Amino acid sequence: MIESLWDPLRLSLQVTALATAILLFAGLVLGVLLARVDFPGRIIVETVVLLPLVLPPSVVGYFLLVVLGRGSPIREWVGLDILFTWPAAAIASAVVGLPLMVQATRAAVAGVSPSLQNAARTLGSSELGVFFRVTLPLARRGVLAGLILGGARAMGEFGATLMVAGSIPGRTQTLPLAVYDAVLVQDYTLANQMVLLLTWLAFIGIWWVRRLELAGTRGRGAGSARELEP
Amino acid sequence: MSGYGAGLHVDVEVQIDDFQLKAALDLEGGILVLFGPSGAGKSTALQAVAGLIAPSAGEIQLNGETLFRKNRQGAMIDVPARHRRVGYVFQDYALFPHLTALGNVAFPLWRRPDAHGRALEQLRRVDLAELAARYPHEMSGGQQQRVAIARALVSEPRILLLDEPFTALDLETRRRVRGEIRALLRKADIPVVLVTHDREEALAMGDRIVILDDGQVIANGNPLELLGRPPRERTARLVGVENLLRLKVREVLPAEGVIKCGRGQFSLETPLTDARVGDEITVGLRADDVLLATVRPHGLSARNAIPAKVLSVQPHGAVYEVRMDCGGVPLASHVTRKSVEELNIAPGTDLWAIVKTASCFVLRE
Repeated sequence: MIESLWDPLRLSLQVTALATAILLFAGLVLGVLLARVDFPGRIIVETVVLLPLVLPPSVVGYFLLVVLGRGSPIREWVGLDILFTWPAAAIASAVVGLPLMVQATRAAVAGVSPSLQNAARTLGSSELGVFFRVTLPLARRGVLAGLILGGARAMGEFGATLMVAGSIPGRTQTLPLAVYDAVLVQDYTLANQMVLLLTWLAFIGIWWVRRLELAGTRGRGAGSARELEP
Repeated sequence: MSGYGAGLHVDVEVQIDDFQLKAALDLEGGILVLFGPSGAGKSTALQAVAGLIAPSAGEIQLNGETLFRKNRQGAMIDVPARHRRVGYVFQDYALFPHLTALGNVAFPLWRRPDAHGRALEQLRRVDLAELAARYPHEMSGGQQQRVAIARALVSEPRILLLDEPFTALDLETRRRVRGEIRALLRKADIPVVLVTHDREEALAMGDRIVILDDGQVIANGNPLELLGRPPRERTARLVGVENLLRLKVREVLPAEGVIKCGRGQFSLETPLTDARVGDEITVGLRADDVLLATVRPHGLSARNAIPAKVLSVQPHGAVYEVRMDCGGVPLASHVTRKSVEELNIAPGTDLWAIVKTASCFVLRE
């Protein structure tokens, strides 16, 4: 039984925070790789990363069960057993949010002029320096937009999470799962609260992304390059 | 192959898809102009020197240090761009749009304690200290260019490479800043390689010139000589000698030091060469060296006065290009706008084209 929305909210925030951290790291690596490096099998990697967009969440969840569950290298060799804990929910949410993050990051990185990166190289920058001092600052709007979209998608994750983390109240039951349970037991007051909260968070996320995109198009000639600077 | 002293020594082959560049450059000091049409491989040569692309074979040395070497056996030295200490000014300047002028100039001095002061000092040297806080999009093209040069010079590179540094500027600004930039480069006192496809710019900036065409060095030497009187027809076409006349030698007059040649009714006296009567030769004549007159002048040292009918008058940079028909031979002349007005030059006008014999040069095939 669910008593209030506080447990699911706390779990949703925990799961979203970890998922967003995973998204940031994996999304940047994959986005830069796909935008800048021409390696054999690139189209395969691209396709696999985008798969969660179209696969049923139960299928994504099933794959994750195989990867994280009994007999998998992660469980047998590393000894990491996270199935049916909230970090498993975070991983499932990250995988489902990844396509959005990677798409946005790749487009943003590809939009940074190679001559700026070459300029940084002739000015003594290492490849890491080029990335952190030129590519990332110039692509930050797109990266941030991708992170918000991916994070929002992660917060709304239901199916894959259910497969790998279950719906254990107080331990793995996030807001989307709690909404389902609340409706099952006909607690519409609680369901309404959680639905409103989730809708409001999603609205804020999409609105923020739109604002970033608009600032990006205006920023070509105008002084908005500084807006996000400290 | 080693053992060179100061300066830049390049002898490389670069293969990019179907395009092959073979470049040999030697530069000890001063400004070397790399001249050629677009697609000739000029920028590719610069990028190879800077380490932004890898040649397929050859050697690059700077001040005795080998920056690149790859021979048939495949032995390889390839110093990464960031360690070459080569200043590079990009065609579009490639200023970082998220940094101010000062931030751009301080970029290569990252994490050095005196970065701010040195960057400001460098901006002062290009007369831009008061614009230090501006972002690139808040500056004019000429100012951006100076920031780019300041940024390239601030960490004291051993050589400076400039890729078409003036094409992003309008014509008037170009003429105005050329002198300033030349003075700036002189003061920096390092060898400079400047890429251009503009003849006027090559003449104004270069101490020496290398002409590239389709990936090959086709000439090198003194800019005034090569661009003013290109020795070969291919070079002449590249540097834009407006009149290349295919004529037959009619008389050779060694005593007067001239050759009389012509085609149909058209005839012209050129300086004496080893051509013989009956030979077909190509005579080069710059449009700047063709004068126009409304009546046949008398008492003039120029030996050639050729009747001409105007075909067209078109603006050409700062001057006007007048295209004429001289008894079946086309001839172009550059005159000022004032002359066009005062002589009433328009299509159909009958004029006299005046050419000094000494302005004509016979080209080797």
